[in-house]
Amino acid sequence: MNDLLRMILLDANTQWVLIGTMLLGIASGVLGGIALLRKQSLIGDAVAHAALPGICIAFLLSGEKSLFVLLIGATITGLLAAYSIQFIISSSIIKEDAAICLVLSVFFGFGIVLLTKVSQTPSGNKSGLDDFIFGQAASLVGNDVKLMAGAAAVLIFITALIFKELKVLTFDPSFAKGLGLPTGLLNFLFLSLLVAAVVVGIQAVGVILMAALLITPAIAARYWTNSLSKMIVISGIFGALSGMAGTLISTLGEGLPTGPFIVVTATALFLISMLFAPERGLVTKWIKRIANNKQLRNNKLLQGEKRSGYHEL
Amino acid sequence: MNPVVVENLTVAYQKKPVLSNVSFEVPEGKLIGIIGPNGAGKSTLIKAILGLIPKAAGEIKIYDKKYRPKDRVVGYVPQRGSVDWDFPTNALDVVLMGRYGHVGWFKRPGKKDTEIAMECLKKVGMEKYANRQISQLSGGQQQRVFLARALAQDAKVYFMDEPFVGVDAATERAIIELLNELKRQGKTVLVVHHDLQTVKEYFDHVMLLNVNTIAAGPTEEVFTLENLTRTYGGKLSFLEKDQLIVEQK
Ligand SMILES: Nc1ncnc2c1ncn2[C@@H]1O[C@H](COP(=O)(O)OP(=O)(O)OP(=O)(O)O)[C@@H](O)[C@H]1O
Ligand SMILES: [Mg+2]
Repeated sequence: MNDLLRMILLDANTQWVLIGTMLLGIASGVLGGIALLRKQSLIGDAVAHAALPGICIAFLLSGEKSLFVLLIGATITGLLAAYSIQFIISSSIIKEDAAICLVLSVFFGFGIVLLTKVSQTPSGNKSGLDDFIFGQAASLVGNDVKLMAGAAAVLIFITALIFKELKVLTFDPSFAKGLGLPTGLLNFLFLSLLVAAVVVGIQAVGVILMAALLITPAIAARYWTNSLSKMIVISGIFGALSGMAGTLISTLGEGLPTGPFIVVTATALFLISMLFAPERGLVTKWIKRIANNKQLRNNKLLQGEKRSGYHEL
Repeated sequence: MNPVVVENLTVAYQKKPVLSNVSFEVPEGKLIGIIGPNGAGKSTLIKAILGLIPKAAGEIKIYDKKYRPKDRVVGYVPQRGSVDWDFPTNALDVVLMGRYGHVGWFKRPGKKDTEIAMECLKKVGMEKYANRQISQLSGGQQQRVFLARALAQDAKVYFMDEPFVGVDAATERAIIELLNELKRQGKTVLVVHHDLQTVKEYFDHVMLLNVNTIAAGPTEEVFTLENLTRTYGGKLSFLEKDQLIVEQK
């Protein structure tokens, strides 16, 4: 086991895959943290599911499995889904949750239909497109993984650059507008960054679980701090840990999908945070309350004794 | 040059206009009360002036120019309910947002900005709470943080939407003191206000609004029973009592 681990870690491709999933985890954690506060986490889920038809269409049109081409397809349908949701909310009486659900199921259903179609084509059944369902980081090779790592790094950089603007936009949109910020453009930009993170991540994590990499590190991080910048950093770290751990586990076992292990790691981090985070963790709070109550009771007892003493006098 | 001039402003969310042909101007260096019943369009007026919602018709001039947020002449205190107070941030950080316009794109607020923000917190008596998570502030304290943020904008004209809602008498006093201080510095402050009893005491000018401008001008001239009757319409019965108190003072 140890030897196997060492062998894997020394392999140049695996190193790249690890770096790639780590950067992906940071990007997802960072953007997911902001999305959480903007109440847009579920849009990420819809976008991820909506990437599937794009991938299939790109494959059917190009006839080859070039990751770059497939991701362009994913980006197009992903963006389409994101803007459809925004459009439905703003122009009909349908509420956000219903709009997201509607778009997600329509796009994903269409994607599954297309995937069935692809597997019936001669080249299709060996195309490995089903890797996109649950993710397969280990199958990433050469330039593909460098593409993923590079794109994730760019996303992190852009987010850091406009962090202050995103912060005020999220906290108080009308104040942001009053400051002269182009809020419409910033909204559009953030949504595009979110879509990009999803698209970059689907090869490794898969369309079904990609949203968990956006949401879980973010809600776990929320337990640790009351400062936005710290929360975003912690969320990025949790995302990176999840990405790396998930990749390692799936690489160790031959042919195991990556996405579920990334998500299991992220969920474990979340559970630890929920229970044991200082101040906000459930167990921490419980222990504190017991100690506090005990002290209050003791004080009362003392007061009570004084009072009874007074009566005796 | 008047800091705010509004001519024939009309705003509609749906078919029926919420503001119709509103015209008024305010002089520089004064405290101006915007008065009118619920739903009169007071918040809408402020938002339209700030360009937060589109106008259907009319002309708005800030210091003789079309309003551009980039000019940084206008500060804004929204109604408190308008944000999510669970947002992970502290009081000082919120006040620092008032400096973002000065800081500019891509850059972080510097030490000087932090100093200014601290000073503004001190002015509203909140310096002790600088590092307090905003969800752990009381309603009145949150209101003061918003006020401090507007001060940090260092604007020439301020719009405040009901800054006195849910604050205790002492805080209201402190805020009014602060507004008078701003006035002495030559700034113009427009305040949406509901308490008719304090109007005469607080404001130099008033603007009575109910979809249309009912009246606007110096308080002694405009804040009359007749104008108030026209502004509040059928709700006059309980108003008359208030009015008596106001007149007696
Ligand atoms: N986003 C909106 N969409 C549609 N109608 C709106 C919207 N916001 C406000 N209105 C309507 O516009 C009218 C004026 O609202 P506004 O908020 O400006 O009133 P206000 O004078 O500030 O009232 P209050 O004293 O209660 O704060 C109201 O009739 C309200 O129902
Ligand atoms: Mg209002």
